Parts: sequence; structure tokens; C-alpha cells
Amino acid sequence: MTNDNLNKLLVFCVLFCAQKTSIVHGAQALETKVALLLHAEPEIPKCFAEGMSDLTCFWEEDEERTGSADQYSFIYTYQNENSSECAVTALPAAGGKRLYFCRLSQTQLFVPLDIRVFRDDLLIHNRSLFIELVFLLDPPANLTLTSTGTQGQLKASWLPPSLKYMGDSMMYEVSYAMAGSHIGKVEEVQASSELILRGLQSGTKYKVRIRVKLDGVSYSGYWSAWTDPVLMETMPGDLDPLIVSLSLIISLVLTLLSLIVLMSHRRFLLKKIWPIIPTPESKFQGLFKVYGGDFQEWLGHSTGGLWLRPAYFYSEEFPAPLEVLSEVSLGPALPSSALPPKASEALGEEEDEDKKLKRVDSALMEGWRETPQEHWPMDQLRAIHQHPAPWTQSSLLESHDAYVTLNAQNHSGEEPLDDILEETLPLQVLFASGRTSSESRSDLGSFQQSSGSGCLSSQSSFEYPNHTWPPKGPGYTYMAVADSGVSMDYSPMSSNKIDDIGKGVIYTNEYKNEIPAHRRPIGTPIHFAF
Amino acid sequence: MFHNSSRGLFTLLLMLLEWTRPGLPSPLRPICDLRVLKHFIEEARDAQAAMLTCKEGCGLPEPVTVPQTKVDFSVWERKNALEQAHEVQSGLWLLNQAIGSLRASVTNTALHSHIDNSLINIFRIGKVLRSLNIQECTPPAGEVSRGEETWRVSSASELLQVHVNFLRGKLQLLLSNAPVCH
Repeated sequence: MTNDNLNKLLVFCVLFCAQKTSIVHGAQALETKVALLLHAEPEIPKCFAEGMSDLTCFWEEDEERTGSADQYSFIYTYQNENSSECAVTALPAAGGKRLYFCRLSQTQLFVPLDIRVFRDDLLIHNRSLFIELVFLLDPPANLTLTSTGTQGQLKASWLPPSLKYMGDSMMYEVSYAMAGSHIGKVEEVQASSELILRGLQSGTKYKVRIRVKLDGVSYSGYWSAWTDPVLMETMPGDLDPLIVSLSLIISLVLTLLSLIVLMSHRRFLLKKIWPIIPTPESKFQGLFKVYGGDFQEWLGHSTGGLWLRPAYFYSEEFPAPLEVLSEVSLGPALPSSALPPKASEALGEEEDEDKKLKRVDSALMEGWRETPQEHWPMDQLRAIHQHPAPWTQSSLLESHDAYVTLNAQNHSGEEPLDDILEETLPLQVLFASGRTSSESRSDLGSFQQSSGSGCLSSQSSFEYPNHTWPPKGPGYTYMAVADSGVSMDYSPMSSNKIDDIGKGVIYTNEYKNEIPAHRRPIGTPIHFAF
Repeated sequence: MFHNSSRGLFTLLLMLLEWTRPGLPSPLRPICDLRVLKHFIEEARDAQAAMLTCKEGCGLPEPVTVPQTKVDFSVWERKNALEQAHEVQSGLWLLNQAIGSLRASVTNTALHSHIDNSLINIFRIGKVLRSLNIQECTPPAGEVSRGEETWRVSSASELLQVHVNFLRGKLQLLLSNAPVCH
């Protein structure tokens, strides 16, 4: 007996609790729907159908106007039928307002329904509607997310609202977003109970929710409330084997290329990274290896290694040619008469080589063409020498000054100094009175024309200390140059054969005289004789 | 002689086969896609919307009988398939009659295309029903109006409204529950 009573009590409690739960749940659902309709439906009263045979209408009243439910009358009339009345109930609402409900349990669809609400016999609301067009369904149940086996995909499935005849008319909206993000996507699907979400990120948690609505052809209504979101993580991303292999190959190729570049420039790189400390061993052969760095000893045993490059020391001192301005041809041929033809040949051969010398060459050629058969009057020169009065430069000879004569010699065999420009070379003949002849000789270089057409040798008066100036021939033009150390004075050119000056052409050319100061004492005149 | 009798037998056989030939041609493929019905409903809605804008020359000369469009599911489900089919077919017939008389009375040429479309669609619905093995059901001539199932309308807009509601309601219920499609 007691057990039976206890069993009954237990069953009663379970049922009560279940009912209470469902009531609570139902109340919550109603509250949600009311809130939805208050937002979505402008007309009053707001009505919605939840199933195939029900209709719930409600309206809101402010606190000041509110009264008891008895004051209100809800009259509804189907087309071609008599009116009926619905019982009104009241429920409190937020903000001190009250909600008045009317619920119909048996309805007719596809026919117009007229609704009139009266308060104390005063019509306050009026509406005509089709019940099949105001459906507000419960959200779909059992929303579940499963993996499809493919990356970036999730399958959402749900249970459609259990409404007969309306399954084909249902439209679903699935909203999905990454967990924690407010930006999501929405997809619609018609008359289905599952949907595959594509284009999702791998290894990411997504939250999905769904709502339902009738499609509006035969039945229509409002969007249901969203279901509670369901979370699911997508499959972790796999490394595509193709991508992995391609990236490996590319990295290998890049490594090989960089290695090749490094190897081809290894010397340069080594020099930059690990520069070689320069040692003078290459310049001083045997200094360190043999003599242990003893420079004095090495000097003593060296065989002119220092002189291997004379140009290194004499880079600034080049023998400079002098330009022959003119040469006057004189009378009968002298023993050296063979020279002019040869010189002319030499000149003629190399006439086309240097433009600057053409003037000189042409002068020479003219002079020699005029008197090819004449001998140079050495005797005349000797005579003049013996009578120094007509020779204007005799006074000059009396001094201990040096004279330079320039001979046109056949040096065709010699190599020309191609790298010596005529006009840029300084005159090398610098000497002072009292110097030894050997010194002066050493000072004298051989003047060579750059083209090698002939060598003009010079002789200084020091070689002939006794005034035995050997006249080189009356064919030469003489010009005295006096160098006072500040300026150089040039005497007018004269020839021992003054009569023939007119035949010859005496050219005057400016030429540079760069006389190094250290080689010349101040105040020494310089005389040049041509 | 034997050939003569065989010929006679053969001729008789052919006549019998000709006589017993089924009334229907080759059976139609069942049309279960409800998008067809959706198309009909939308065109009926277009006609109703056009009629609402009509001011003149769009009236019915006399009230016409139209079917009831209301559906009470509890009542509907109590009916068997045959009764449901009969209800739909007779309703379609009535609509055909009513819209036909509207076509004759409407002078507004803009509405003519809509009304013609509605009539053509009713004909096509009949074909769809036939494809679903739902037999045609013409009410007897004597029973013009049946209180439960019909009522009378006097305006063209009301008529077309009934037309839309009938297609959306009863016809849709019948088509969506056709046993051939399930």
C-alpha cells in the first residue's frame, strides 16, 4: 500500500515537473514570439499561427488605458459566415504595459478573416487577414553539425517543424560565423533538412544557427526565432602533397643557384670578408726570404732591381724634341750633302705621320728642293767664323755660354718616341756657365721629333771650350735666346747666309719652355743656335 | 471458304479492339513538381491585382457561382481522397464557368490577357490532375449550387480572389498529397 502510494506520488511529481518545464518553455517561446511580432508586424491586433489549426492574436495597451480583460471583446468573422467571439486574457508586459491575448483553436485557412476588437463596446482595432499568411513557426529543432570528410566543409542538419502539408513550403536560413566573430554568412535553402557549408577555414571553430519561414506561395508568415548556436570545429588543414613537393623543389633550386653564385664570386667575397694583408715581398724579391728583412744587405746584393723600372723614377722627365722652325739650304754640297737627300727621304717617308711636323717638313723640303745640287758651303762658314764681325752672334760666342746646334740626322732606324708630344715637352737643355761639359752633355738629351722623321741632335758650346765652334753649315738659322731667369729674350733669327734668307722661309713658332727651376741657376742666359 | 471466315474473324477482331480502345491516350507522366502550381498561383495573383486597378468595364453582368475556398484541416482530413478530388475538380469547373462569363463581359482590353491566362491555366491544371490519376468530376447539370461547397459572387475582383484562394488552398492540398507522387 505504501509502495503504491509512493509510486503514484512519484509519477505525479514527474508529470508535474514535465508539465511545468513545458509550460515554462512554452511561456518563453511565447514571450519570444510576442517580442518578434511587436517588432515585425505593424498592424493591430498582431496575430500568428503556430500550427495548422490555431491562431493567436494579441495587442498591447498602455498603463493608463489598461483595464481588465473583461472590458475587451474579440469578434472574428470568416467570409460568408457568422461572427464569433474569442475570450480575451491579459498578461503583464514590460514597461508597465499589458498584453491582451485571444487564441483560436480551430481555424479556417484560405478564406478571409475579419477581426474586430472592442473595449467597452468601442471598436479599437480592426483587421482582415488570411490565417495561412501569418505563420510564425517554432525554430527548427535538433540542429547538428557534422564533418563531411572534406576540408573546409561542415554539414548542418536539423529537424523541420512538424507541420503537415507544409514541408515543401518551408524555407530555411542558415547563419554561420567563426566563433568569436560577429561577421557571418547566411545561406538559404528550400524544403530541405540539411545543408553543406562550404568555403570554411580549416581547423576553425564555427557557430551555426538556423531559422525557418514559409515560402509565401500558398503559406506565408514571419521568420522564426534563431535556434541556439551550435559550435563545431572544421577539419585541420592538411598540407597538400603537391604544394609541399613544389615548395621543396623551389627551395632546392634557389639554394643551388645561391651556391653557384657564391662559388663564382668566392674570390671577390673572400677579399671583402678576409682581405689579404699586402706584403711587399713581390716588390722586393728575396728581401724577406733570403735576407730576413735586412734591407741593407738586400740592397748590397741586389742586381739593379730598383732600376727595373726607370720610368718610375723618371716619369716626369722626358726628352723633349725641339721644333725645327726652318732650315735654309746653302750653296755647294758639302760632305754632309748626302744627308739632306736622306733626310728628305726620311722626311718624305714619314711626312704623313704627324700633321704638326708638316710645316717643318715642308720647309725643309722646300729648302732642299731649291738647291739639291748645291753643297753646303762649309768653307763659307769657316770664313764667316774666321771673321766673326758679320756674324751677329759672335759676341755671344765669346762668352762661356752654351750653344746648342740642332742637326737633322737620319735616324730612320731608330724607334720614334711616339708618346712624346712635341709641343708639350719642355726643353731639356738647361745649363749654366762654368758647368763641366760632362754635366752639360748629360743634360743634353737628343731632341727627337715625335714622328721620328729625323733626330735633331744638339750640341752645346761647352764641348767647344775654345770657341772652336764648328760651324755646322751656313744652312742653319741661328737664334739667340737669353734667359735671365725671369724672362727669356729671343734674338731675331739670323743665318750665316743672310742673302739666302729670303729664299728660305723662316718660321717662328711659339714653343713652351718649361725650365725646371732646380736645374738652372738664376741669371744664366741660354743661347740656342740653329 | 476458310479464308473468307478468317478474314471475317480478323475484321471482327479489329473492330472489337477499336471499340475497346481506352478513352485516354498514352498515360501522362505524373507532374509532381509543385513549382507548376506556384506558377499558376502567381499568374492568378497578377490577374487579381490587375482587376483591382480596373475602374470601368470590368464588372460581372450577374452573380456567378464559385466554390468555397476555406479549408478546415480537421474537416479536410476526414474526407477521403476521392471526395477531396471531387471537391477540387468541381470547384475548378465552376471557376472555369465563372471566369468564362467574366471574359465575355469585360470590355477592358488590358484585362483580357489576364483572364485568358486564367482560363488556360485552369485547363492546364486539369491536365496536371489527370497526370496524377485524379479523375475529372463534372457536377450534374441540376446541381448548380451546393450550399456547402459554393457561394455566389457579384464582383469580378471577388471572383478572381476566390480563384487565387482556391488554387492556393484546396488544389495545393490535393496536389501535395497525391499518392502517385509519394
